[in-house]
Amino acid sequence: MSAITATARPTAAGAAIDTTARRTGAGKKRATTVVLSILAVIVFLFSVFPVYWMINTSFQPNNQVRARVLHFWPDNFTLRNYGTVLFDQNRAQFGPAFMNSILVTILTVAIALVFAFLAALAVTRFRFKSRKAFIIAILIVQMIPGEAMIVSIFRVLDGWSLLNSIGGLTIVYVATVLPFTIWTLRGFVNGVPAELEEAGMIDGLSRTGAFWKITFPLLAPGLVATGVFGFIQAWNEFLLALVVNARPEAMTLPVWLRTFQTLTGTTNWAAIMAGSTLMAIPVIVFFLLVQGRMTSGLVSGAVKG
Amino acid sequence: MSSNIVAMDAAPTAIDGERMTAPAPAAKPRRRRPGGFTPYALLVPSLVILIAIVGWPLFQLIIMSFQKFGRAQVFGAPPEFVWFDNYTKILTDPTFWQVVARSLAFAAVCVVLTMVLGTLIALMMMRLGKFFRLLLTVGLLLAWAMPALTATIVWGWIFDTDYGVINNVLVNLFGLTDFTQHSWLINPLSFFLVAAVVVIWGAVPFVAFTVYAGLTQVPDEVLEAAQLDGTSYVQRFRFIIVPYLRSIFVVVIILQVIWDLRVFTQIFALQGIGGIKEQTNVLGTYIYSVSIAGGEYGTGGAIAVIVVILLMAISIYYVRQTIKEEDL
Amino acid sequence: MRKLAFVAIGAAAALALAGCASGGNAASTSGADKANIRVWFVGTDTPKDAREYLEKTFAKENPGSKIVIEEQSWTGLVDKLTTSLSGSDSPDVVEVGNTQAAAFTSAGAFMDLTSHKKELGGDDLLPGFVEAGSYDGKFYAPPLYSGARLVFYKKDALAAAGLSVPKTLDDYVSNGEALATANPGKSGIWWPGQDWYNALPFIWENGGEIAVQKGGKWVSELGSADSVKGLKEVQEVMTKASAAPKDGQETNPQVGFCDGTTLQLSAPSWVKWSILAAADADTPGCPDQEANLGVYALPGKNGGAAKVFAGGSNIGISAKTKHPELSLSALKIIESKGFQTIYGKNGLVPSLKSLAPTLGTDDVAKAIAAAAANAKLTPASPKWADVEASGVLTDLFVKIAQGGDVESLAKDADKKIDDTLNG
Repeated sequence: MSAITATARPTAAGAAIDTTARRTGAGKKRATTVVLSILAVIVFLFSVFPVYWMINTSFQPNNQVRARVLHFWPDNFTLRNYGTVLFDQNRAQFGPAFMNSILVTILTVAIALVFAFLAALAVTRFRFKSRKAFIIAILIVQMIPGEAMIVSIFRVLDGWSLLNSIGGLTIVYVATVLPFTIWTLRGFVNGVPAELEEAGMIDGLSRTGAFWKITFPLLAPGLVATGVFGFIQAWNEFLLALVVNARPEAMTLPVWLRTFQTLTGTTNWAAIMAGSTLMAIPVIVFFLLVQGRMTSGLVSGAVKG
Repeated sequence: MSSNIVAMDAAPTAIDGERMTAPAPAAKPRRRRPGGFTPYALLVPSLVILIAIVGWPLFQLIIMSFQKFGRAQVFGAPPEFVWFDNYTKILTDPTFWQVVARSLAFAAVCVVLTMVLGTLIALMMMRLGKFFRLLLTVGLLLAWAMPALTATIVWGWIFDTDYGVINNVLVNLFGLTDFTQHSWLINPLSFFLVAAVVVIWGAVPFVAFTVYAGLTQVPDEVLEAAQLDGTSYVQRFRFIIVPYLRSIFVVVIILQVIWDLRVFTQIFALQGIGGIKEQTNVLGTYIYSVSIAGGEYGTGGAIAVIVVILLMAISIYYVRQTIKEEDL
Repeated sequence: MRKLAFVAIGAAAALALAGCASGGNAASTSGADKANIRVWFVGTDTPKDAREYLEKTFAKENPGSKIVIEEQSWTGLVDKLTTSLSGSDSPDVVEVGNTQAAAFTSAGAFMDLTSHKKELGGDDLLPGFVEAGSYDGKFYAPPLYSGARLVFYKKDALAAAGLSVPKTLDDYVSNGEALATANPGKSGIWWPGQDWYNALPFIWENGGEIAVQKGGKWVSELGSADSVKGLKEVQEVMTKASAAPKDGQETNPQVGFCDGTTLQLSAPSWVKWSILAAADADTPGCPDQEANLGVYALPGKNGGAAKVFAGGSNIGISAKTKHPELSLSALKIIESKGFQTIYGKNGLVPSLKSLAPTLGTDDVAKAIAAAAANAKLTPASPKWADVEASGVLTDLFVKIAQGGDVESLAKDADKKIDDTLNG
């Protein structure tokens, strides 16, 4: 028990800084802090600049975007590009594509987590034949270049009449994220000692009860951490979505975004940036929601792996 | 009953604290029960999906790699078996080996730089004040959340020959007129510089956050004791922090290697903006151009099989470690 | 844990059921004579009027049935056609780029229309495109429209340099260089490196070919003496007359024209509309330049119009369609005078030669007619689409634009193209 509870130290970072401060001179410490703070600002600017540039461009009129004079902020502020992207009837529609993407993504994350979790339980809690083979297979599968299998995957889905459906794309995405998810969750499940459950059972809980009340809550950060990868994968995937969901009504956002780039005609850069911004917002929101759990989860999983 | 309550308490505390240290992995052997049919049943959902969507297509891919399989075969023409022709064609094609070398070099540079930068930023975060740490966290989070496709489009726009902000700033602010209409993508080295910026920019936050979270768990007592012994910061990093975070580094490096070797979106999108495809293809885009765009599905299959074998050869050490660990 | 095991099996079963249940969603099979016919148009080239015309006429002629237009984008089109046309959920009528058509006619992706050729326009159809849509003596995909390539120029710039509209290809090159010299930093002829379509007239006018069929095999001829002569002229223009990015694409030609850095450029005829787009349009042009915008057909080596590349599309019926009759009816409407006239009015060359007058009588129309009369296509090999997709040609011209050695570059490209065409 203590292995898990006693080492929770939210203030570890602060403590480290304090001890450093006591032992080095105050002046030196201040100099270091100033230098580090400046560095932090530089890293911050570098990280944020492309995001800022995208948003900045999305609020400018298109003729200003393609001009020799740079506008570092949207001084001729306009919402027109968002209007074009969201409501132009001559274009592929944002709404349905957004709904498709959200549905596929949520389903992918949910199904992949449940399936991977069950599989992780199997390989960590049980002894059985071909257990090792399964684990190695999971590792190797991640090395296959998916670009080569697109036609075969298309045919499988076609055979099941799952083309142009949320379900079909979801199944494909679940398959692409499952190996990684099982692999990582395996580490998390391993990290929760079976003794904990057994202790619960001695106290009268059923095995299932002990599992839900004891093991499962400890796995929450791990589930969040691995879920994030499924989310990113499903949200951004382009090639499979293009081929498998060819009907316009089954289009997802990455494919939708590509419709703004034409080969022969004129490219509406401001609209592409507006579309990109819209596409990034759900990911940013999701990340903000789960950020804390995600990183702590990654670490505990890694340490235990 | 009492210990049950303790257990119930323990769980939420660990999560609220957001920091959990694991019991040292090798400390005690894990006990696994023989499970009868249960473990197989637990594997069924994953296996069904993996066999259908990965296994079966993979099987077809391997068969195809021994056939002359073009677009006509997709539309039903009977494929002709050519056995190892596709393989010998690929293995004797200098282009393929150039692509392999390029991919390995690019992945190596990206992995090393991502790891170094990510770790440095994590160490920096440990010593920053509250405000600057928050600022940095927000910045990294935004970069991390940017979808790869979107990020590449934006970076491509930033490096644009005619209207890019980089050229504009270099020319107008720094007076470097050489950069008037400078094409960043036309020279392969410069192309991969831009590609590396895009890839590393997107990957550093993950490494930084993970390593940072790991750093917060290094026990202060150990560091303090080391400091009393008069060790330098570098020494403490080398002899305390690195060993302590070893397993984190291993997992993160493996993920970075797999991702960077299979990089597709960023290179593909950049090739659409400029540059010479032949000199900038990596494994992913090469397979795409042969198999999907080029309609040579048999050859594409052979390349994929060779790539998997190569990657397995590269990661054999890690695989063997895993098997050993599983023996416990 | 045992319970979880049952849950697991249950989940797998539910998944299988879901698969079966959604199997019924291929809803377009509702009787033999009433159905939705799915038509794929690519890009925004087919005007709205034409789409509405198709929908209305079809609904009138086939009561109870409906046209569903699904707009596709050029990006990844070949991948998408390969899978979709071979699958069970195939669209019924699909547009395909003329240089991509052979890849699909040869693979058996389209329905054989040989016996219907007459009803679809017969000898009135653009001959080069008919060739592109035929394979092995059978007719699969009639032309949809063609876009001629024209040279757009700024009248004031040409006049200021004391030049006039060129009469020969050599004049065109020397004009471009003179303009660039007189206007440093600007493009006498705007020519981004990836734009290989514009290089084809130089090869053809010098007597060269891209590839020819010899004894059942394709032989790439970019490295032949004649072709190299043409390619050297291309290099001269790219390096001396053009200020466009050496590895750029030919997209958005209107931008440079409107901000004054492009004085001449060769582009598909519809670029006129991009240049003249209203200043407050989504992709704005510069309508104030209308009086200053001149246009001519690229001149040939010995005067007259040069052999230019004819971009455009073919359209065919999927071999997998469940409604061949209705699809044919739709295709007939698409090839009808009513539908094709709309293309003509929008500056695209209609698929029927007899409709050329619908282009109008202004300079652009005259130039289009002149260029279209002498238009030429890429080699009619089933593998040609793969050559384009592999990027050999864009790579070649980017390297030429950089000033590389034309002859050895062309020979290298020949080897790769031979491999692909005969692979």
